[in-house]
Amino acid sequence: MSTIEVRGLTKRFGTVIAVDGLDFEVDSGSVVGFLGPNGAGKTTTLRVLLGLVAPTAGTATINGHPYASLPDPVRLVGAALEASACHPGRSARNHLRIHALAGGAGPRDINRALDAVELSDVADRRVGGFSLGMRQRLGLATALLHDPEILILDEPANGLDPEGVRWLRRTLRGLAGEGRTVLVSSHILAEVAQTVDRVIILDRGRLVTQSSLAELAARGRRTVRVRTPESRRLLDALGAREDIDARGVGDWVHVSGATAEEVGLLAARHAIPIFEATTDGADLEDAFLALTNGASGQPIRRGGADQSPEEACR
Amino acid sequence: MSRLVRIELLKLRTTRLTFGLLAIGTALCALDAVLRDARAGNGRLPPLDTAAGLSNGLTVTGFAMLMAWVLGVTMASGEFRHQTATLTYLQAPARSRVLRAKMIASGIVGLAFGAGGAAATTAVSMIFVAARADPISVGSGTIVRYAVGAIVGAALLAALGAALGSVIRGQLGAVIGVLVWALFVESIVGGLFNSIGPFLPFTAATTLAGARLGGGGFGYSGSSTASPLPFLAAGLLVAAMAVAIGAVAAQTTTRRDVT
Repeated sequence: MSTIEVRGLTKRFGTVIAVDGLDFEVDSGSVVGFLGPNGAGKTTTLRVLLGLVAPTAGTATINGHPYASLPDPVRLVGAALEASACHPGRSARNHLRIHALAGGAGPRDINRALDAVELSDVADRRVGGFSLGMRQRLGLATALLHDPEILILDEPANGLDPEGVRWLRRTLRGLAGEGRTVLVSSHILAEVAQTVDRVIILDRGRLVTQSSLAELAARGRRTVRVRTPESRRLLDALGAREDIDARGVGDWVHVSGATAEEVGLLAARHAIPIFEATTDGADLEDAFLALTNGASGQPIRRGGADQSPEEACR
Repeated sequence: MSRLVRIELLKLRTTRLTFGLLAIGTALCALDAVLRDARAGNGRLPPLDTAAGLSNGLTVTGFAMLMAWVLGVTMASGEFRHQTATLTYLQAPARSRVLRAKMIASGIVGLAFGAGGAAATTAVSMIFVAARADPISVGSGTIVRYAVGAIVGAALLAALGAALGSVIRGQLGAVIGVLVWALFVESIVGGLFNSIGPFLPFTAATTLAGARLGGGGFGYSGSSTASPLPFLAAGLLVAAMAVAIGAVAAQTTTRRDVT
């Protein structure tokens, strides 16, 4: 069952189309990465989903209802949208006290949330003195305060140092293990790759793909590395095929766009000796970048005869 | 609604600005009263042993009302300045209810501003009267009415400020606008057009507290041919302004995208 459903969502700001006919769903209990380069429309989509931005067209619902129509939204949905959204003169504890009052949480819940994000020691300090990383943690504490079933996190790793990113991964893994539905946006796949079940990838406001990580990895181009004493001849032979990229590095030839078997057969036809051949695993990040760069390079149109988004990215 | 009002009251209690503005408003009222009482009987100001002279010091609660107005503006516009509107509207997606809660909460805190101002001017004036061994020439009922007027006036201006701060999102511009309006615009407009003076919001609020037209501390000087509005009419006028601007905010600003 889908917890979050976005159908035909479009949002224009003046002449700029931030989100363009977006469709996706997030199943209950799944952890989904919402990915795309900066300006892809991730934040706008999340804000529409949370009732902060009115859509130009389409719908975005949580458990079948717009956010504003949910009976007790803060208890059902925890959201962390921007790290700077705290009054700088207020302490972290007071910031949480205000949010606690909105959903009926108590001091024990506040302490639990502060412990969860490791901010208990600075809870009574004013937020204005917090680093960006500490503010991110406070944002996450706010999202977790009412122990919600659904978490929506917008770029939670922004501004975190490497230790902070590691902490975030641990936290997201913990939340995933508790069976919550988590939609977490990022422009860097590696930040969420170890945590998410599925990814939704946007570019220029449009859906590029919605798939599992395994499916995404399968789209990545593998590289075949071949060691041969006649690398020049092998490069010439490979160069005859337009769908193959090959480059020489000393005795090695790196080939992408062809399998090891294909390279071996080609070498045999040209009587080129091969001493060694290995295939590197596909890189998720490369696959992600290829998808988004591909979509950026050419317009994606919907309709029978036009390219599908996925075709456009290959 | 009561939960939203409690949230807004907690927000006000947990920032230093609220207490800072309260302290500034009270201190300026005390200072204004000192300056007036010290000059009472000299030149144009009537002596303290007359009802007019003592009322001059008792009714200068305008600064407390002005700070309450500023508080209302900052508490509403601050949501956009500090981007806390995002969390506020996640907590309560019905934005018009948030606006009403803000107006009620700022009005409640405004009561304290008026009480602080009235306490300061009354204390200062009584100290001067005692020091000069003058009789208390104003009845206790009148002194209480002045205090109630200051409290009601500050509460209404604070609520008006919350509505205004929801329409004008730029906090600095809104605060400067309110200060310039109260300190200069009303003085100029009221001075040029005497008949309009009683209907201007700050003047109407200060007359609630017994201030003469132009005598609220920053009103127009010189003779005026107009009379202050009756207590109820002045209160209803400022309340109506708050409701009207609140309605504008509900129809415009609070419907905008929070990006």
